[in-house]
Amino acid sequence: MNATVFLLLAALSAAPLTAAFGAARPSLARPVAILTTAIAFLAALYNAFRPGPAIDKEWAPAWGMRLHLEADGLAVLFALLATGIGLAVIIYSSGYIPLHLHHEHRPEEDQTRFFAFILMFMGAMTGLVMAQDLMLIFLFWDLTAIASYYLIGFDSQKREARVSAFMALIVTGISAVGFLIGALMLDAEFGSFQLPELIASVVPNYESDIALVLILIAALAKSAQVPLHFWLPRAMTAPTPVSAYLHSAAMVAAGVFLIGRFYPLIVLRGWMLDLLLVVGVVSMVAGGLLALTRDNMKQLLAYSTIAQYGYIVTMFGLGGKAGVLGAMFAIIAHGLAKSALFLTAGTVTEATGARELSAVGGLRHSMPLLALASGLAAASLAAIPLTMGFFKDEYFFEAATHHGRLMQVIAVVAAAMTFCYLARFWKGIFGGPILGTVSPVPNVLLAPIVVLGALSLLGGFWPEPFARVASNAGQVSLLSTDELHPAYHLSRTTENIMAALAIGSGVLLFFSRRVWFATVELASDLGEKIGPERAFRAGVLNLNNFSDRIHWIEVRDLRSRVATVLAPAALMVVITLIFTNADSSFELQKPHRDDLTLIMMIGIAAIAGVAAAIPRDHFSMALALSGVGFALSVVFALLRAPDVALVAVLVETLFGVLFFAFLALLPRNVEHADVVPSDEPQELGHHHRVRDSVLAAFGGLLAFLVAWGVLSRPAPVDSVFERYVDLTPAAHGGAIVTVILADFRGLDTMGEITVIGIAFLGIATFIRRRRLR
Amino acid sequence: MLIVLGLGILWFSGVCAAILDGRRRWVGFASVAAILAAIAALVALGMNVRDEGPQTMTAGGWPSGVGIGLTADMLGVTFALLSLGVLLAALTFEVFNGVRSQSFPALVLLLGAGLTGVFLTADAFNFYVFFEIAMISSYILTGYGDEGRQLRSATIFVIVNLLGSAFFLMGIAALYHQTGRLDMAGIAARVALLNPTSVILSAVLIFTAFGIKLGIFPFHFWLPAVYTGTRPAVAAILSGAVANIGTYGLLRWGGGMLPDELHTAAPMFFALGVISILYGSLQALSRRSVAEVVAYSSIGQVGFILVALAIGGPAGFAAAVLFAIVNAVNKTLLFLSENLRGWLTGFAFAVGAFSVAGVPPAGGFLGKAGLFQVAAQDDNWIVIALVVVGSVLSFIYMFQIYQRRFWTPEVAESANAVASPVSVRAVVVVLAIITLLIGFWPEPVLWVSEQAGQSFATTRP
Repeated sequence: MNATVFLLLAALSAAPLTAAFGAARPSLARPVAILTTAIAFLAALYNAFRPGPAIDKEWAPAWGMRLHLEADGLAVLFALLATGIGLAVIIYSSGYIPLHLHHEHRPEEDQTRFFAFILMFMGAMTGLVMAQDLMLIFLFWDLTAIASYYLIGFDSQKREARVSAFMALIVTGISAVGFLIGALMLDAEFGSFQLPELIASVVPNYESDIALVLILIAALAKSAQVPLHFWLPRAMTAPTPVSAYLHSAAMVAAGVFLIGRFYPLIVLRGWMLDLLLVVGVVSMVAGGLLALTRDNMKQLLAYSTIAQYGYIVTMFGLGGKAGVLGAMFAIIAHGLAKSALFLTAGTVTEATGARELSAVGGLRHSMPLLALASGLAAASLAAIPLTMGFFKDEYFFEAATHHGRLMQVIAVVAAAMTFCYLARFWKGIFGGPILGTVSPVPNVLLAPIVVLGALSLLGGFWPEPFARVASNAGQVSLLSTDELHPAYHLSRTTENIMAALAIGSGVLLFFSRRVWFATVELASDLGEKIGPERAFRAGVLNLNNFSDRIHWIEVRDLRSRVATVLAPAALMVVITLIFTNADSSFELQKPHRDDLTLIMMIGIAAIAGVAAAIPRDHFSMALALSGVGFALSVVFALLRAPDVALVAVLVETLFGVLFFAFLALLPRNVEHADVVPSDEPQELGHHHRVRDSVLAAFGGLLAFLVAWGVLSRPAPVDSVFERYVDLTPAAHGGAIVTVILADFRGLDTMGEITVIGIAFLGIATFIRRRRLR
Repeated sequence: MLIVLGLGILWFSGVCAAILDGRRRWVGFASVAAILAAIAALVALGMNVRDEGPQTMTAGGWPSGVGIGLTADMLGVTFALLSLGVLLAALTFEVFNGVRSQSFPALVLLLGAGLTGVFLTADAFNFYVFFEIAMISSYILTGYGDEGRQLRSATIFVIVNLLGSAFFLMGIAALYHQTGRLDMAGIAARVALLNPTSVILSAVLIFTAFGIKLGIFPFHFWLPAVYTGTRPAVAAILSGAVANIGTYGLLRWGGGMLPDELHTAAPMFFALGVISILYGSLQALSRRSVAEVVAYSSIGQVGFILVALAIGGPAGFAAAVLFAIVNAVNKTLLFLSENLRGWLTGFAFAVGAFSVAGVPPAGGFLGKAGLFQVAAQDDNWIVIALVVVGSVLSFIYMFQIYQRRFWTPEVAESANAVASPVSVRAVVVVLAIITLLIGFWPEPVLWVSEQAGQSFATTRP
């Protein structure tokens, strides 16, 4: 087994193994989850040094789908994030989830479900980043959506969680349909689902543009970019470790991963980069503004994620070595820092019960280690020198500088906002006077944060390994051999000046928050109220209301009426007659004197048919019906088919006897009951009768037209009937009809006997069931 | 001889079961075994078809055209296997659950015989006969159960479908009058020589009849009342197996015998498909019970099949077959898991919901992907947009009801769900796993539908 296969299997088997062990014994779920994740992480690390060969196997040759996976640089970066941060999150969860379930009064067995889904998330992410076949990407892509759906809805007993899960699924699931279309269009246009082949062969055209835009929309929705961002702040209703994972290494990261994966195709069109740039900048600014004033800790962090991924999308839009490789670096820095911050929020809530910044304070005294670790993470995200995050901003500023002055200003403003809201977050929790009581938390709720914080610091002193991973990933996107070599330059480079400006104005912004806070808060509240989330909710509500309305119409007027079948069928015939030049020449043969009796009998049959529809009691109805039958038997006789006529008479007699016997056996009140249901008001009943008569007449007329039209066509020259006549002696029979029924079409006869038998069986069971019980 | 083996097994065992009390467990299991045997025979037949091409035989050894012919091609075998698979699942489900009526296993077997006959016959009138066997069995099955509810829905079902059968019979009679043939190949050959405009009215009657079977708009009004009124196993049979007659009929009669008429009617098919998709999905949105949502969802889903047929050609037909396959599996799964309790059922239903919404790895996404693929090949943006709208709506209605039924504590524990033996839930879970397998390894389904789509090499210009 080579390294690639091992990584894939390790990541994908984690969830089923955990589920299986957890189902057998719930206490096993945690250790198995940690162990399997650790193995997957080690496998990812191994691939970082010695990537295994690509897997390329047949999957569904009918559509040209292949099991094509490769642990290239891009895959390694995201696999390391998914498994590494996954490991931290799962270790944290092993302490957090039992407490959470306890708070929610839920059985401890439910933790198996949690670990299974979060590991499914990890497995799907790992598969996704390695996949090179578009359909395989789609499969893993939606697997992450499923996993996130169940994780966000983990507390499904709460209405809020259900709404959030639904929203996340709808937004990411539907945008994924766009990905599917894009994939199929690329296949239709360039004949392959394999990304390497597509990169080699795509010549941008109209179709490929649409395909890529659809794929980009899927990516941006998953990365929670404006205007498809609203599901993410909602998703914080999930247990905190889920948020930590979702925001840093899975789900949201999957979106930018996809941009990285398709980057070689995206750069073929300059305007697509501009599109990324616009979306990124808007998300960066909107997310930043919203994060500035949020009081709920997780909500603040959620908006910060939107802003930070806005950064990354912007960097992809700016392109070039600094942009793309820098974006990869930023993904690592952000992942480490953001997961630490979310876990911090979880630990703080666990210790104090508070979810709002305004309800906590002064925790630096009681939780100094946590304060330090999350301080490091916040500093990294805020791009303070000597942390890993500093370099991500350096590259951001470098890329912005290539793009012009306006971009530089936006970059500095965004960085200043980042600094400000992170300072608020950290100071709100750890600074200021002590608020509330703090209960001790287990070490397992601290250790992962400390490790993540330490890594953020390590990256500030020794960025080279992280830069290597980022470079390898960026090379896949850029199809180049560029490398990042982050280092501190103690000189007046543009980037350094911009960084100083950003931190300076961030500090200024933070201390002047009394001035702007109320205004920004008002604007943010307004933005939240009239934003796309409102449109989404209103859309779903209106659709449901509309559905109720049309349903009422259907149930009231249309259901269980024969007219609703007859009328549209007649309408089909009318439409055919009007819109096709159907050969509707209706021939009328000149009536011969001998035909007079025939016409009379047909007339009698018609009158009897109409008469059958009029009476209100069963007896006259049956009488009129048998009138139709007998009249038609005479018609057969007149058409020189005496044997058929005899059979018809026999059948009609039998039916008549059965009918009247049946009516004689019925209780009297049933016999005299109205045929037309009398529970309707008389007036409405009359209205229905008129309408039904018109419809019946209309249907009958069209049936007549069809029959007439068909009979006006000449009969074919060599009908199979003639062959029946010829072959009858060979069947050792005298009468043709007998031979047809018993031999030529014996299978039909057998079938019809079965039909009668089944009808009998049905009636027998209906009757006997009542008697037996 | 293989061609009659499966049919014969079902027919014979159906008649045998009719005289036994189906409430006995061993009768139920024997019936399950009979369906399994028939499936085995059909699989063997399918292998022959794959290796040697279509298999034919004529009853009574008469020359073809005189005697009734049977033909097994990929299309027929696929639909027969699909329908028998659904019957197998529903019957097993009900046997584990406790059969309530003496005739239930017999009727399922005879329905299987009727369906197999419909899918294998090569004769127009014989098609009608088998069709009648299948329909009369399903009429009685619809009344299965003891309540007035089931009898009421059976009444609606019978009346509407008898009308449909009458249209169909008129259509066959008209075709016979004009072509003088009853064997399908003969009719097709003669129709090709006739002026298409003179057959169009007969074609419309036949298409309408199949439209009623399928429950497309505007012939669908019976469907929700019937599917929600009958018992889950029967609803699964009706939507997963009996509705296949509609799809198959349109393919065989439209694609195989009346290709020019199908082509002429394509705009109509397309329009009705579009309306069905929108109407069914919109109706499904705010329904409160699972059965209602799934019933309306069926109307929407067959709309997709109709659209695929309207696109036509081997690719369009393949997409229609593919959609029919995944739709039958979805609907069987959803109807059967509707009333059960427990997290395993929740899992199974979720797989079904993801499948209808088109989220892999549940197999349902293949149906939509097939349509997208056909549409992408000729840049048919209307179809693409339509499938997207359909998908959006299916996402919303499926997960609204899923969350309502399985996530809302008050509803999930309501009396609606019945306690059931583990074996019953196992049936549903097996179906869910099959749905997942289709998604993880789509090759068999894709291959079969591609082959089935090529059954008639009528490529339209």
